[in-house]
Amino acid sequence: MRREIRFRLNGEAVSAQVAPHETLVEVLRAEFGLHGARESCGQGMCGCCTVVVDARAVSGCLYLASLCENADVRTIEAAHAEDGGLDPVQQAFVDSGALQCGFCTPGFVLMTRQLLDEIPDPDEDDIRHYLSGNLCRCAAYPEIIEAVKLAARRRNASREEKR
Amino acid sequence: MKRAGQSTETPQVGRSVPRLESWLKVTGRAEYVHNLRLPGMLYGKICRSTVAHGRIKRIDVAAAQAVGGVYRVVTGEDIRKLIPEPYYGPAFHDQPVLALEKVRYVGEPVAVVLAADPHVAEEAAHLVVAEYEELPAVYDEVEAVSSKAIVHDALKPAGTFPDLKHLKGKTNTNVALDFRLRRGDPDTAMGKAERVFEHRFRTQQVMHTPLEPLVSVAESTDSSITIHTASQSPSFVRIEIARLLGWPENRVRVRVPFLGGGFGAKLYIKLEALVSVLSLLTRKPVKISLTMEEQFFTITKHASTFRIKSAVTQDGRIVARECEVWWNGGAYADIGPRVTQKSGFTAPGPYDIDNVRIDSYALYTNLPPAGALRGFGIPQLVWAYESHTDMIARELGIDPIEFRRRNLLREGRPQATGTRMKDAALEKVLERVAALMNWNDAFDRGGGTLRRGRGIALGFKACIANTTSLAAVNVNADGSCTVYTSCVDMGQASDTAMAQIAAEVLRIPTEAVTVVHSDTDVTPFDMATLGSRSLFHSGNAVKLAAEDAIGKIDQLRQELHLPADAPIADVFKKKYGMRAGSVMGAGNFIPPYTPPDENGQTDNATPFWMVGATGVEVEVDTETGRVRLTRLVNVADVGAPINPRIVETQLSGAAIMQLGFSLFEKMQFDADGQLRNASFAEYKIPGFHDLPGEIVNEAVVAQQSTGPFGGKGVGETGTFGVSPAIANAIHDAVGVRLTSLPMNPEAVFNAISIKSGRE
Amino acid sequence: MTPFELAEPGTLAQAVSLLDAENARPLSGGTALMLMMKAGVLRPARLVSLRKLGLDGIRVDGELRIGAMTSLRELERSAQVKAGWPVITRALRTLSNVRVRNVATVGGALAHADPHMDLPPLLAALGAQVTIAGPRGERRLAVEALYAGYLENTLARDELITQVTIPSMGKTRAAYLKCTTRSADDWPAVGIAVAIDGDEVRVVLGAATDKPVRLAAAERLLKGRAADPKALDEAAEAAAEEASIEGDSHGSAAYKKQLVRVYLKRTVHEARRAIH
Repeated sequence: MRREIRFRLNGEAVSAQVAPHETLVEVLRAEFGLHGARESCGQGMCGCCTVVVDARAVSGCLYLASLCENADVRTIEAAHAEDGGLDPVQQAFVDSGALQCGFCTPGFVLMTRQLLDEIPDPDEDDIRHYLSGNLCRCAAYPEIIEAVKLAARRRNASREEKR
Repeated sequence: MKRAGQSTETPQVGRSVPRLESWLKVTGRAEYVHNLRLPGMLYGKICRSTVAHGRIKRIDVAAAQAVGGVYRVVTGEDIRKLIPEPYYGPAFHDQPVLALEKVRYVGEPVAVVLAADPHVAEEAAHLVVAEYEELPAVYDEVEAVSSKAIVHDALKPAGTFPDLKHLKGKTNTNVALDFRLRRGDPDTAMGKAERVFEHRFRTQQVMHTPLEPLVSVAESTDSSITIHTASQSPSFVRIEIARLLGWPENRVRVRVPFLGGGFGAKLYIKLEALVSVLSLLTRKPVKISLTMEEQFFTITKHASTFRIKSAVTQDGRIVARECEVWWNGGAYADIGPRVTQKSGFTAPGPYDIDNVRIDSYALYTNLPPAGALRGFGIPQLVWAYESHTDMIARELGIDPIEFRRRNLLREGRPQATGTRMKDAALEKVLERVAALMNWNDAFDRGGGTLRRGRGIALGFKACIANTTSLAAVNVNADGSCTVYTSCVDMGQASDTAMAQIAAEVLRIPTEAVTVVHSDTDVTPFDMATLGSRSLFHSGNAVKLAAEDAIGKIDQLRQELHLPADAPIADVFKKKYGMRAGSVMGAGNFIPPYTPPDENGQTDNATPFWMVGATGVEVEVDTETGRVRLTRLVNVADVGAPINPRIVETQLSGAAIMQLGFSLFEKMQFDADGQLRNASFAEYKIPGFHDLPGEIVNEAVVAQQSTGPFGGKGVGETGTFGVSPAIANAIHDAVGVRLTSLPMNPEAVFNAISIKSGRE
Repeated sequence: MTPFELAEPGTLAQAVSLLDAENARPLSGGTALMLMMKAGVLRPARLVSLRKLGLDGIRVDGELRIGAMTSLRELERSAQVKAGWPVITRALRTLSNVRVRNVATVGGALAHADPHMDLPPLLAALGAQVTIAGPRGERRLAVEALYAGYLENTLARDELITQVTIPSMGKTRAAYLKCTTRSADDWPAVGIAVAIDGDEVRVVLGAATDKPVRLAAAERLLKGRAADPKALDEAAEAAAEEASIEGDSHGSAAYKKQLVRVYLKRTVHEARRAIH
């Protein structure tokens, strides 16, 4: 029942043998050793398994790996620069203390990047709505809101500079 | 570490250092057991009891065993071949590794299917058939006292705790501990009282739901076993597994990386005994990773009933208080008896009361086991005594804060145990919460169908005693430092705090310190990471270890005729003629403690007191009963904060968690003890839209004189006052009193309807 | 999840014929389906993916035509939808979460027949119709006629929704409000859609009942009187009376009836205030 699928993973062309019932998060872990997306609630409600497929965030625990054939798949592992430098969203999470146990953090970082791509200057209501599908049992929510605002300011400032 | 070796005069303690593992966590690279995969590893899937109480007639594993790819199916009887008495537990040896003879709750593990492919194990697990002869079951903690349904045929105390010894071999009872405290003469005081108030409060069963579900991996040889586990108590796991196997402790190795949340769920033995036995039986590495659903069948927070009665003078002095608390421990005791006693003795609240009677009962029932959850019973107690306190104040027409002021347990005064209060900033915390709530200012009470109200509550906790922490600090030849502790970082930032403490002593930057994660072959004993004890206990041990190391380095400076401020790297270079060597310091911390007498009296009940108050402003929709928090104020005595930013995050995180327990979280059981909502689709936890409009967190200026650099624990403090503050605010808004949790919209609406029916 | 066969046909005819098999299920976005399969509630032998059938896209020609495989997110972000049917854009903002909306499709959201979903009552109130393809060709059906019961639609096993057609709003003003009783972000206990078109008022209730239902008695009482507080009170009572509501984990039947009363009034108010 397994068949080979080809797709781009974090910018590289890859292939994997997958069975139809295997989810994207399972394949990322088992075949590629990528652990940043992780299954927690298993119902797409907590966001720990967030993966970006063709520029859209999806719940990797509910997404069949087979559907990634020819897709562009990006995970938290590709979010930062080659030299280990953090992107503005990651740096803002560090600076705002917007994480505790860290299990949900990659999902929040990826969702925040999506949010800021869509709405560069979100207000608090935008932030709450966009991130409402991500849960943090440590409840670092106030710090996360602060981090999103900080990341937005920094991204916008660097965009201004480039002009 | 770029800055290794450079000394610094900058204070390291009191600095908001970003947590040391930030990079790992924001890049998804932090190590969790969840990620671990060993060569040749089998995955175990647990088959669970479908009845709440029953005798096992038959377990048929043939169909599951026949599934292609299934390695083996294991039942309790298989385990008995390896361990004749396979029962574990911190307080009672009552919990079998897999059910034996009886099952005691729906969801109890009865068999495990092992396969190299987790999907195969899961599929085959559905095919295991167990037949039971059903027995009468009991679910309610008060009914359990007199119920004919008996959960355990005989009580089996573990022998660890002296106050449980008298229960050994007791039959025909569900009472796993009957803690009592007597102070003064409550009967006479009640009889003579000007006013007597009596109320009954209840809390519901809830679950920690750490986002990294419980997970353990074991790998073994003939003579040794290594357990990789998401555990808050690696030292306990080693001792308990060694005891079960009859092995020396040094053949059992327990390793713990980061935890994806704990909150008390990952304490003592959870999956560790099971994976150990499975690995020994199969001679392969075995991993069991629970799903979110399965966590609900593993460990929970006690439901409780609390009857509280106070004798009060007309001018508002509490002269006597009676507390009767029933804790619903579920089918296995876990740490419930400790909750019953250690929290039980603070049941009268932070008030100066001469005459006190406390009876606190741990009960077995046919529900999933209950243990520690962020507060160790304290939030259940504060819920009752702070609601009760407000009710008395309002009944007497005294301002609730003024009433608390009149009765407050002040520094130096004896608490119910007789222990005199020390370093407990109750007064400051109460006054700060009043100030931050602008208590004396006019308050907008809303109108129409949206009514506003406000309330406060004040709670305290005695840190658990009698417990030990050890630590080691190794100063390397370049002046960098490695800390060895079995304290587990589950998100509370203990690594960072320990590094700050070591750095402060060694006068090096925090960033030059690394903390080795728990590995019982490497890191020394630590009782457990629980009950907000680690900053104080492990922190003191790390401080002692660092002082030991710096003492040795100072001695080297003297011997080598180096100036007192010579850089550490120069000391080693001179000593060894090149960069070589290291200096190891050891720290062993055990604070003094006096066990209570038969009346619960002791002159030293606890190493330190934690104090937390909450103020809330609410908006109540009178047509639907929905309660919205517009403002949440958390004030705490955490001693001197080691890392102010992280302290603030702990306070607000704890309060938001408790907000879920206050307003909507509830495990819903049907009449047969079946859990109806074991998933995030049906068991809701707080998300962004549940946040209060505004959150204010403040640690009052305080010192814990015995703490490391004046600090003490904070993990639980933010939970204490949340539930009663909300209930008090709802009463303030719409004049109805809720006495059961959660205060969901329907409960609030019904209370409003009953009240308007009466009017 | 139990292993299954995954088919990805390129034509509607192939899809329809692949579905004509024991235990075959169509797969659109799959967000709801995966949940049921992971829980073991559903164990299909074959999933037929609809993603290669070219069923996505939004077209406006007076009416709004939405291809069944259009993602909810695409619908939410469509400027044309926001301009002509703003009530849909507003409702989508609080429908589940962004990741679900990125993947879940309009056709899937309608076919799934979970009464807690937001789109069925709303689109029913707007008078939407679905186009259904099957072995005997196409048929059209009003969204309100699509449901037989809890998780039960009226489609045959080899029928598929291919398109949703929503009439122009014209002067119709509409609103959809929902109410949760546990955390704020939850399946609703009650969802009510109201569309006011001149004197005519359409009221569709979701979540509280086992399928979305028109509240005919409430509609009669509101006819021409949506602005009359007395009519609103009567309609609220009638709504609570006529809907067949049972208690569940969101609340008792009595409490949910109260929510129906309150939210009927609030939704009518909201609709009257709406721009369209």
